[in-house]
Amino acid sequence: MNLSAILIVDDEPEFVSPLVRRLRKRGFDCQGVLDGVSALAALRENSFAVVLLDMRLPDLDGVSVLREIKKNWPATEVLILSGHASIRDGEEGLRQGASDYLIKPVEFETLLEKIRAANVGSPAGLLTQDNNINVLPNT
Amino acid sequence: MKLYSATIPGAALNIRSREAYYAGQKQLFAVVVILVAIVPLVFISWTAARFYQNSWLAKTSAEMQSLAESRGELIDLFLNNQENLLAGLVELYEPAWLAAPGNLEKLFAAMNRDGVIVDLGLIAGDGAHLGYTGPYAEHLKGKNYATAKWFAEVMENGRYVSDVFSGYRGVPHIIVAVTDPGRTWLLRATINSELFNALLASAEVGPGGDAFIINRNGEMQTPSRLGSTALSAEEKSLLATDRALAVHQSPDYLYAAAAIKNSDWLLVLKTDINSSLADFYRAKKRDNLIILAAALLILAVATILMRSMMNRVEGADRQRMQLYDRIRHSEKMALIGRMAASVAHEINNPLQIIGDQAGWLDELLDEEKPEALKNSAEYRTAFQKIRAQVKRASTITHRLLGFSRSTEGTKSRVGINALLEDTVSFLEKEARNHRIAIRRNLDPALPDITTDSAQLQQVFLNILNNAFDAIGKEGAVTISTSLTRGQIRVEIADSGPGLSPEALGKIFEPFFTTKQAGTGIGLSISYNIVERLGGAIEARNGKTGGGIFTVTLPVGDRPKEDTP
Repeated sequence: MNLSAILIVDDEPEFVSPLVRRLRKRGFDCQGVLDGVSALAALRENSFAVVLLDMRLPDLDGVSVLREIKKNWPATEVLILSGHASIRDGEEGLRQGASDYLIKPVEFETLLEKIRAANVGSPAGLLTQDNNINVLPNT
Repeated sequence: MKLYSATIPGAALNIRSREAYYAGQKQLFAVVVILVAIVPLVFISWTAARFYQNSWLAKTSAEMQSLAESRGELIDLFLNNQENLLAGLVELYEPAWLAAPGNLEKLFAAMNRDGVIVDLGLIAGDGAHLGYTGPYAEHLKGKNYATAKWFAEVMENGRYVSDVFSGYRGVPHIIVAVTDPGRTWLLRATINSELFNALLASAEVGPGGDAFIINRNGEMQTPSRLGSTALSAEEKSLLATDRALAVHQSPDYLYAAAAIKNSDWLLVLKTDINSSLADFYRAKKRDNLIILAAALLILAVATILMRSMMNRVEGADRQRMQLYDRIRHSEKMALIGRMAASVAHEINNPLQIIGDQAGWLDELLDEEKPEALKNSAEYRTAFQKIRAQVKRASTITHRLLGFSRSTEGTKSRVGINALLEDTVSFLEKEARNHRIAIRRNLDPALPDITTDSAQLQQVFLNILNNAFDAIGKEGAVTISTSLTRGQIRVEIADSGPGLSPEALGKIFEPFFTTKQAGTGIGLSISYNIVERLGGAIEARNGKTGGGIFTVTLPVGDRPKEDTP
């Protein structure tokens, strides 16, 4: 498993594109997709340490994508990132194995922290240690 | 979504029009009571009185009629006796024998044992007095009756009975005269008519009763017991209309008349209706008073019953309307919550993108040569400002989400006093800065309850923040807890200026705020949270000023389950 691999799933390319570039800049092997089917396809092709998942997708709903991920790739950590209000979505996400639930807008630094935290707590994850993400100079 | 106000009939009616409705119902009830209970009572009493009065009149009339009849017959019999007695003497004796001295006196003495016959005279066909026996011999000596009216009548008819007159004697009497078949002489007797008076005295009916005899001219033949000497004009016309045996009625009197002496006389019995019915009138008056009292009692009881019934209905209505209000309020809250959530969601996504794009540009700037960018510092500041504004906007959308989320939560066992202490600890620094004293009046015996501590803390924090804002600088906030009627009651009172009437009505509505920079969401979130936890929150002004917020929470009951 590529421990620095991050998959971003969100239906808004304007959100996905700068995030992917900024994470790549920080040394992450980052990939972005715009819907649930593409997300599952990407997971089948490559293994990811962390998936950043929006709850509202044009094809599948976030919870079923999450369930599918946790079923097939239990070592992959999922961070839910949603603009939606319902805490029930968040609770359901956490019950289904997501490591955290964030509501947009989230500052990039916060997001980095959460990715690191999710990875540290995961059985697979030594992402931060391997890649020294948090000590990467911000250049 | 559908607001309940549109579907619950009557809920839209305001209290004022309900009051008019209750007043109308009360009046209607009073009218019904009067119609159903009192009118029949009055009707029965009226008909009973009429029935009694009419039956008394009928009975009395019949009595008087038969009495008049029997007394009339008695008087006729008496007169006939006197007449027949004279006729017998005329047949038995020759005038010459009668004229002989001493004989008339002997006959008179034999006849007059009972004192009814006052005197006896023998008169010739030419009117000359042939003989006389009696107390008035001196007066009548040598008197000739040829021109007297009664003499002419007796000579023509053979018999004669006069009306009552006082004559020389000053005593009421009547004259009875009978001739021989050849009309050559006659016997004449004066009869004391006081016997009539005795006969009539016992014929009086009732306390105001009278009995007398009148002649064809309506002149009194016997004295009226009540002292009247002549008939009134009304009586004359009434009694003249019918000389036969009959009963007549005037407004005040009842008359029974019987014709006597070959219809020459009329025996009249007279009864004063009013004085006869005096007892009845008294009883009627008493009955009327009883009916009046009963009617008043019925009205009073009905009114009291009505009032208590109406009060109960009114109370139930008021409760129902309060329930409708609460339902409407929470429906409104839910609607606004959903709107807030969707607005927040729609705004959060672009906010995220704006922030990320700005961050990305900021990062790209690092890769540029600083000398190639003369406004590098400006760019940096601009990006920082963009991110700061995104953050600011996001706090608002997050609050909106918090508001819509105030309908959800997780529960655990919570000690309210500890929770309050914990909440107060957040604010102690601020309280010191503003010189606001926080007084605690906590009931140590408060039981733990199952509730959402995080959300409840948000509620207390909101109320305390509000209290601080209301006070400004210098003042006190008093936090009291107690167990009242199976509920935990938390009261937070501030020494601020209190709430305006407008604020009291709207304080829990979303977006209502009196603060310059307030969003108006805090207390509406609190309202939703407390309601979801099965409790209630209310605001009022204290007696000595200042606002008081009261939160009540159930102890034993399980809090309301979340509804999807």
